[in-house]
Amino acid sequence: MIKNMPSFCFYLFAALLILASLSVILARNPLYNVLALVVAIFSLSSLFVLLEAFFVGIVLLLVYAGAVLVLFLFVVMCLELQSISLSSAQQGRLRLLGILAGVLFSSSFFWAIQSFIKANTLGASSIRGTIETIGKILFTDYLLPFELTSFLLLIAIFGIVSLAQGALSTGKEELPS
Amino acid sequence: MIPLGAYLLLSGLVFSIGIIGVVTSRQVIKVLLSLELLLAACNLSFVTFSKFNGDYTGQLIVFFVILVAAAEVAIGLAIVVLMYRHLSTLQADELRTMKW
Repeated sequence: MIKNMPSFCFYLFAALLILASLSVILARNPLYNVLALVVAIFSLSSLFVLLEAFFVGIVLLLVYAGAVLVLFLFVVMCLELQSISLSSAQQGRLRLLGILAGVLFSSSFFWAIQSFIKANTLGASSIRGTIETIGKILFTDYLLPFELTSFLLLIAIFGIVSLAQGALSTGKEELPS
Repeated sequence: MIPLGAYLLLSGLVFSIGIIGVVTSRQVIKVLLSLELLLAACNLSFVTFSKFNGDYTGQLIVFFVILVAAAEVAIGLAIVVLMYRHLSTLQADELRTMKW
């Protein structure tokens, strides 16, 4: 029982991930889409823990489920979202396009993975992505990219503030005086 | 032990689901959520290869991807809110002009 625990957990969280990502794209209510993405991110982070990437798993949980998806929830709940009204011909065309893209992508994935498995059978290594090991590499070999991401975040903040200011000023103009 | 192929298959499936979502949905928020699914699938295969190659670089790349995705989502949602204020709709088909 204990010996089979990792593979049981893998199949459990894999099924959860697939179901949640299906409901991200299929659920009609945008609120349910966002909540399904929370479940998907949670199961993805559990898979990361199964792969012994502990630090990345917890960062994913904190940043995604904690911050990004809450932002999504705020936006979804602030805006009143009307249901999509497409003509049936448009809908049929979109559905056909989506099925075509999905079949194309998944078949190419299956083909690539099959050929890869035939080519070499790698065994799992014994690396463990703890905070210590990841931090050592992050602050030695990857110090420059790490510092550059702080600039990226700064630029993102500037962009958001300027966008919000533009929205505020145009909102004032639209007010009847 | 779970084989490499199982993880890659899962990642490919989630990526395909995300592609279907990006192509078929016409609501901007749904497109953004599907993009998050694409990023999640790529993160999963990065961590898998990191584990099976015995190299930490894949996990570091995932760390950077998460940072960039956070910035992308913040700006994307700001643009979505702006779009709702100007057009009072969230359908991507309504965005026909480059400038308002």
